[in-house]
Amino acid sequence: MATRSRDLPIVGDSFNVGYRFQRYWDTPMANAFFCGELGGGIFLVAAFLDFMPGMLAGLLLTCFLKTYFHLSHMGVPMKSWRAILRPDRSWISRGLLAIVFYAGFGFAYLGLAWLGLAETLGISETLVGVVKGLAFLSALVVATYQGFAMSHSTAIALWSTGMMPVSSLVYALSGGVMVNLVLGWNSVLAAQPELRGAVLTAGLVLMGLLAVVHLSLLHAAYHGSPGGRKSVELLTRSYYAQWYWGVTWTVGILVPAALLWSAGGSYAAVLIAAAGVLAGYYSFRVLIFKAGLFEPIMSFRP
Amino acid sequence: MARWGMVFDLKRCIGCNACVIGCKQENSLPDGVLFTRTLSEEYGVYPTVNRVYIPTLCNHCEDAPCEKVCPSGATYTRDDGIVMVDSDKCIGCGSCAVACPYDQRSELSPHLFKDGLFGTGEITPFEEQGYVRYTPGMVTKCDFCSGRVDEGLDPACVVTCPTDARIFGDLDDPDSKPSKLIREKGGRAPLPEKNTKPKVFYVNWTN
Repeated sequence: MATRSRDLPIVGDSFNVGYRFQRYWDTPMANAFFCGELGGGIFLVAAFLDFMPGMLAGLLLTCFLKTYFHLSHMGVPMKSWRAILRPDRSWISRGLLAIVFYAGFGFAYLGLAWLGLAETLGISETLVGVVKGLAFLSALVVATYQGFAMSHSTAIALWSTGMMPVSSLVYALSGGVMVNLVLGWNSVLAAQPELRGAVLTAGLVLMGLLAVVHLSLLHAAYHGSPGGRKSVELLTRSYYAQWYWGVTWTVGILVPAALLWSAGGSYAAVLIAAAGVLAGYYSFRVLIFKAGLFEPIMSFRP
Repeated sequence: MARWGMVFDLKRCIGCNACVIGCKQENSLPDGVLFTRTLSEEYGVYPTVNRVYIPTLCNHCEDAPCEKVCPSGATYTRDDGIVMVDSDKCIGCGSCAVACPYDQRSELSPHLFKDGLFGTGEITPFEEQGYVRYTPGMVTKCDFCSGRVDEGLDPACVVTCPTDARIFGDLDDPDSKPSKLIREKGGRAPLPEKNTKPKVFYVNWTN
């Protein structure tokens, strides 16, 4: 009887029955997702702190680097504008719309609040607050929509879980907290030691959340389907295990958490922790693409 | 209006891959791009070892995930159920490719059209006339040879198959050959748990 065995091999492009790596979304797309989510996260945290340089950094990362990497991935970049046409059904379209709003409202807010255009133009504080709120909401969508785009695909079991958008948001916020700690350590956070302590604690909590998200993601994929189990094995026991445990977990979660816990008052420790979180975040983005597998359509193996 | 579908008879397929070649010729596919494949699998333990061939192509799903995720509206379903890709609208983002559970999408990298089938940079007249239907960089797939179907012909892979392992017809017509085979031999859709409602079925899939 035709069944699908979890013991089938990974067959690449050969004409054999087995698992196949998804190869359509690779490093340029991982770069774009990383820059988009991180930019959104930096903006969200900076907006919460009302820290203008952080907001600008988030906007620049999303609007320029994410866009650049998306265009370098796109097969027909000159027609990329068409990606905005189907927000009714596609998360790519929704995300692109959110980026447009995010850039528009984000830069508008910086112009109004940071450059003082609100005073010059006589715009009320309420309206400036509304602009900031819309930028914040757009940044929230930018930080999460890629997770929705991935979880929307039932083809790849590793991605097809509700934990994908959660992982996007938690990673975006973790990166955002760490980058804002680095950028604002000697300015906005130096002036408010209590706020600095709160942000450090938030960073530590987010490290804990990241660990929970990872374990949930692995659990959902492992118990989701044979393909998901195979992907988890790739991440945790075979091809990508050294990267997953070494960079994503140790460098990206455990070391930063230990540094924030033990030496959170030191700028050097925060700097190293931030670099670790970003390295772990980037490796997660790359590995989650690389470990994505299509399942065999059928198999006769017992 | 017909609702086109296909049946693969696994007992008839001999794995000759004539369908693959017929498809490549009909669709002028660049080097390394395939719209159909015949996968093989060996199973069992000596001395009762067996080999089975499993043809694959786009399943033209009724609930096509590739169409749902397409951000540009390039992927659409015709009234007769054939899932198409509009080469003028495709932006090559690949979201359809990662959404298709059957891995039946193909990226047409621009370099394929420059290198040519022989990789020498020379484009033969055969390629020249065939490549006009594609936009370099787009992501495309099998369209059941829609041009041939519109003229009342069967897809190229079906007419090329020497063993009649591929049977094409109207799934809404209870007297059509594929409908009868599905009914009588218990047609099985690939990966039914993905809920895509494929219009391609396999018969004789038990040993």
